[in-house]
Amino acid sequence: MPKDDRNVILFAAIVCVVCSLVLSATAAALKTRQDDNAELDRRMNVLQAFGIEVKDEKGRKLLSKEEVDEYFTVNISEVVLKADSGEVMPNVTSEGLTRTEIKEKSKLPLYLWSENDEIVKYAFPISGRGLWSTVHGYLALDQDLATVVGVTFYKHGETPGLGAECSEPWFMNQFGGKKLWADGELLPFEVVKNGVPSKYPDGCDYCVDGITAATITSNGIMKFIRSDMKAYDQYFATIRGS
Amino acid sequence: MSKTKAIILDPLSDNNPITIQVLGICSALAVTVKMETAIVMCVALTVVLTLSNTVISLLRTVIPFQIRMIVEMSVIASLVVLTDQVLKAYLYDISTQLSVFVGLIITNCIVMGRAEAFALQNPPYLSFLDGLGNALGYSAILIIVASIREVLGSGTWYGMAVLPEAYMGNGLATLAPGAFIIVGLIIWVQRTVIKKFEDS
Repeated sequence: MPKDDRNVILFAAIVCVVCSLVLSATAAALKTRQDDNAELDRRMNVLQAFGIEVKDEKGRKLLSKEEVDEYFTVNISEVVLKADSGEVMPNVTSEGLTRTEIKEKSKLPLYLWSENDEIVKYAFPISGRGLWSTVHGYLALDQDLATVVGVTFYKHGETPGLGAECSEPWFMNQFGGKKLWADGELLPFEVVKNGVPSKYPDGCDYCVDGITAATITSNGIMKFIRSDMKAYDQYFATIRGS
Repeated sequence: MSKTKAIILDPLSDNNPITIQVLGICSALAVTVKMETAIVMCVALTVVLTLSNTVISLLRTVIPFQIRMIVEMSVIASLVVLTDQVLKAYLYDISTQLSVFVGLIITNCIVMGRAEAFALQNPPYLSFLDGLGNALGYSAILIIVASIREVLGSGTWYGMAVLPEAYMGNGLATLAPGAFIIVGLIIWVQRTVIKKFEDS
């Protein structure tokens, strides 16, 4: 091999090694901080779904990390349900779930909000395909297990300005007060293209407006809210019955 | 004007990367809805551009000519990932708002352009200044665009209310087409002022 070529390969190899060393060192050094941030963000989204104001209208945080953690020790408790039977699994917490179990939704975490020893709100994670990515969020239901308290979408890789609008307040704020269940059966939740009035001029209490120019994201959200609600409803049915 | 001074000042106006060279338009449209994101983006680009120019200038005598672009790309990409990681660790909320655009600094033509056009032929100190100058030129335009968009679109500037509450906000200014029009107007005004015209 000519000397020139050897130099080129050697130089390329050195560049690769140096770059990857620098990057892995940074990633390792910052990992704890990043994970803490992600966990705080996740917890704030659970709170937001529960109807707690966590951010002002300009997107500034209203709660400190300590305040968030306090809600989680005082008000929020957690159970994990078996997806196929809807039963509570004793001694399992969401932290003990593996990635596959979360992804395949074979075990379902459920957050319970108690006030004066009474459970008044329920929240659970919702997720599914958008256009480019999996959209993650939380949905909270009122004590009647029919009325939505709030919805958040917080982790996704949708197109900024189009599908990513799903995590904007105007979209998420529509969900509060919507009904997912009535008279013994689940309602067909719908994200309506061109806006609810275009299809239901008299209004519709299980529908929200879709996102303009993001039909696939909107439909994805519609599908996974329906299927996740169905998965949890096995358990909800037993509570309603008791 | 001395040479070092010219290296810094030229990109601010006479050779501005956005308005004269028309590079880096993508992020200029995307992150200028409000001042906060625009400023973080400016800082991120300044860090990446000055460091990449300096590093590539230091390596300029040893980089084999055949693979210089790939080497430049690796240096730039590493710096961008580094910046992104630091933002995620220390400015989490802003990093989620900037979403993909910090990562897209990799494809920002200004960074690669300065490496090819300047850092490969000049010593590290001058390359550092050139990177800084171009980053400032880019930042100046981003801040102007973001100021106009935030005031017209939301009636605020850096989150502070500047217009009376009755102001409804102009939806066009908050969307990409509004940014396009504003960037176009700025390019037109600036080229008229400094009398820079394309030859037909």
